Amino acid sequence: MIGKNRRKRTWFATAVLAAGSLAMSAMPANAEVGVSSNEIKLGITIPLSGAAAPGYNKLGDAMNAYFKYVNDNGGVYGRSIKLIVKDDQYVPSLAIAKTNELILKDKVFALVGSLGTANHKAVANSVGLARRGVPDLFINTGFSGFADKKTYGTTFPLFPSYAMEAKIMAEYIKDAFPGKKLGLVYQNDDFGIDALKGFAQAGLKFDVTVPYTSGTQSATTAQTWVSTLAAGGAQVVVMFGVTSATGPLLAVAAAAKYPAQFILGSVGGDATTLRALGVPAAILNGAQGASFLPSPADTTDEYVKLFQEVNTKYNNNVAFDNNVLVGMNTAMLTVQALRAAGKNLTRAGLIAAIQKKGSTFASAGLAPLNYSATSQVGYNGYWFGQYDLNGVMKPLSGGVVVYTTDSGTGAVVKSSYKRPAMPAKGLPTNS
Amino acid sequence: MKKLTLKKAFSLVAVSSLLSLTIVSIPTVARAADPACTTANFVTSCSGVTSDSAPYSMMVPANFNGTVYLYSHGYRPNINVAQGIPGYGGYVVNNTPQPGPDATVIGALLAKGYGVMGSGFARQGWNADSGVKTNVELIGLFKKQFTKTTKVIAWGHSLGGFITQALAEQYPNLISAAAPMCMAGNVGPLSTMAGDALWGLKTFFDPTIKGGNYSAGLAGVVEANQDLAKVFTVIGSLQAAFAANPTMPAWPATSKVPAAMQAGIPSRSALVLVALMAGVPLQSAHFDSTSAPSVLPASSQTSFQLAINPAFAALENIGNAAALAVLATHDLELQAGGVYYDNSKTDYSARLGDDAFVWNSALSGNTAIATMLGYLAAAPRSVASPAAVAKLDTLTKHTGKISVPTVLFTGVADPVTVAGNTQWIADKYAAQWAAQWAANKAARNPKRPTNLLLTIWNFTPAKYTVFTAAGAPDTSGPAATGTNHCNFTYSQTMAVADLLAYASENGTHLPGGALYTKLRKAGNMTIDKDFHAPLLKAVA
Repeated sequence: MIGKNRRKRTWFATAVLAAGSLAMSAMPANAEVGVSSNEIKLGITIPLSGAAAPGYNKLGDAMNAYFKYVNDNGGVYGRSIKLIVKDDQYVPSLAIAKTNELILKDKVFALVGSLGTANHKAVANSVGLARRGVPDLFINTGFSGFADKKTYGTTFPLFPSYAMEAKIMAEYIKDAFPGKKLGLVYQNDDFGIDALKGFAQAGLKFDVTVPYTSGTQSATTAQTWVSTLAAGGAQVVVMFGVTSATGPLLAVAAAAKYPAQFILGSVGGDATTLRALGVPAAILNGAQGASFLPSPADTTDEYVKLFQEVNTKYNNNVAFDNNVLVGMNTAMLTVQALRAAGKNLTRAGLIAAIQKKGSTFASAGLAPLNYSATSQVGYNGYWFGQYDLNGVMKPLSGGVVVYTTDSGTGAVVKSSYKRPAMPAKGLPTNS
Repeated sequence: MKKLTLKKAFSLVAVSSLLSLTIVSIPTVARAADPACTTANFVTSCSGVTSDSAPYSMMVPANFNGTVYLYSHGYRPNINVAQGIPGYGGYVVNNTPQPGPDATVIGALLAKGYGVMGSGFARQGWNADSGVKTNVELIGLFKKQFTKTTKVIAWGHSLGGFITQALAEQYPNLISAAAPMCMAGNVGPLSTMAGDALWGLKTFFDPTIKGGNYSAGLAGVVEANQDLAKVFTVIGSLQAAFAANPTMPAWPATSKVPAAMQAGIPSRSALVLVALMAGVPLQSAHFDSTSAPSVLPASSQTSFQLAINPAFAALENIGNAAALAVLATHDLELQAGGVYYDNSKTDYSARLGDDAFVWNSALSGNTAIATMLGYLAAAPRSVASPAAVAKLDTLTKHTGKISVPTVLFTGVADPVTVAGNTQWIADKYAAQWAAQWAANKAARNPKRPTNLLLTIWNFTPAKYTVFTAAGAPDTSGPAATGTNHCNFTYSQTMAVADLLAYASENGTHLPGGALYTKLRKAGNMTIDKDFHAPLLKAVA
């Protein structure tokens, strides 16, 4: 009998819920999916497990830590931010499924910081983010195609494109290593192809090129890469791949005492991730790399200092690296975007706000943001540095010099950009 | 009622489900205008033959409520198939009438007071024109026999779904609601999909597969059967190679791809390319394109997820679809009077599109993709006979016009009648509705047009591949929801039937909460107006 009553109650509860969802659908026109009077729901998919997880798996926690900091200080116009993090294992079909869950089941207001070129391309196409009008903010990939407003109308890239990075890197190499034999290891997909376009645009030719297919990187395949590079006599080797490919490359090269100068692309050059993958800092020592953010070890930088404090208080004081810095910086930009969209928060309003005011948002980035009514490009510049014995990348020749360019035929120029001062206590008050 | 509780003879997990079903035993067929009827256990069962020689069956319960479901069955080959062909071996052409999806559903509908009817059609193979004609006549016969009839609901699976939509477009006054389920699309794009898949298999793996241009008469039947054997030999070889070395599976011995290309590119990548350029989904009954065996180290797991699982999915899906492609090609060439498949100008690089990036690892990277596309570009192409193309173009086509309440229901990873067929109709109706609404506004009529279309998707789970303790894929379980051809549960089918009954009665669909509750109870039925299945490659 008890069971019977329970069943009845369950049925009744279901019916009430169904009626509730009907009532929800009849909310006033200004109500928006994922936004209530006291909460804004956001979503992200990143690899929390699998080979690509080390490093990237810190992004969600870092973002949540900053959001908690903001929530503890009044939220965004009284609404707290809730970020739902899902594991896509860096697999496109899983990214589609998890993003569908975020949108259809969790009913998030917007996606923020989703990661990976192939993943995001799959998601944008299959889930139909632009068609649905779902804001897709500050994505963690530098594929230049995502700035195409026609195809990815609700997507806002954050990173400088890989083409920009390659163009800037090419000018640096031509300047710093004239006459040297050049080698290139690159991921043989959109990520790498974008870089190839940039190198070609800058007129840089490589003597040895080693493409690898995403997912095949390992110590065994790295043996082949190093053999090929050495056989071709490459003296300067550019690595345009993920950290799980950079790690074996550096380790095998060190073991083989291959004396090339390595230049690491920003994606595969995160020192703490490389160390987590078993690459000793000593192997990284002397390699060069590029970044658009300050060094995570630079405590003289006001943003880094603030984010380190937030990391201590809200993120279990995990090792503060580039991933944590990227995560918190993304979260800070998100808060400004939400504020700029106003109290009556809508998806369309959020997109319009970034287009109108995004270029003025304060952030740790050392290159300008380029959002406007006609551009969805985020940062557009890099500085170069060299890793020290501790795996910390420090500016070459004593100071940070940022170069900017575009993904097309524009020149590489020294930037005169002045970064906006950080909002007091790192809490945006913009509108 | 005993007949209605016959063992469910309808396997929903394989293409063989499209083959003939004897779900009701009918009395000796009388070739007469009036059906022969018997009544037992409060159900009157009638059978007969239409004027075009299609056998039919009608069943009506004693408490008939005036509404009858007209069912159109799926594709049955138009030739006998030799023993040994998976799913089809030993098939003999038949036109046994089929008044419902299966005996259980028929029993449930009769128990609710509904009538059911369906024919076996006058011909098998691609028979939309003949099927619509038969159905029109059958509706008349039913009404004449059972004068209490007030409403006719049309529904069908696969090719039967196509016939249902065609009937609804051409004769909306005869029916009050329709449900094309896992529906086939217009023959042009559909045959291009089949042709691309066969041509890809032939070009990469066995150039002796004809893949079309079959001879007339018995010689053509023999050739089609030989092609079936060759296609499944290729699939068997690939299956063995995948099992032996999933990372670098060998190419079938019948392949004429240069040795250097075979050495550098795994055969699995060529198969994935065939699937992608044809538009075959990369989620199959047992392979989700996301899972890896837990026994593998983490680095190898990612590689399995990205590169190997999709290849297994392609193999399973193409294995399910290839035989139908051969049989349909043979049949359509007969009807068209020659070769209609033409890929002489097809740019397979464009066909691949963004899939080259999304499935880059499964395709072994850009260099491998360029090499494979280069090989395809240089391979001999199929050139159609203009007369055959023109003839094929005269066959019944959908316009996408919807005039009666319609329920579309399909699996998003159906490898045979891909979800793009359903999407095409949904897109057409969206345009129709928008035009009507614009016309209303222009006429200062503030009333929004009634939405006549309910599109329901059967999504796949995110992960469902099962592995043995040793890490081998285990395909012994049932097909995952949303995969395989017309892979619907009894609850889902009955939910569609209930939605049709409501729509038929009210002229509009079940609204809001009641609708969502029904779908939730049936399980894995999702309405998402913003979901957009990829259209067929020849349409997109």
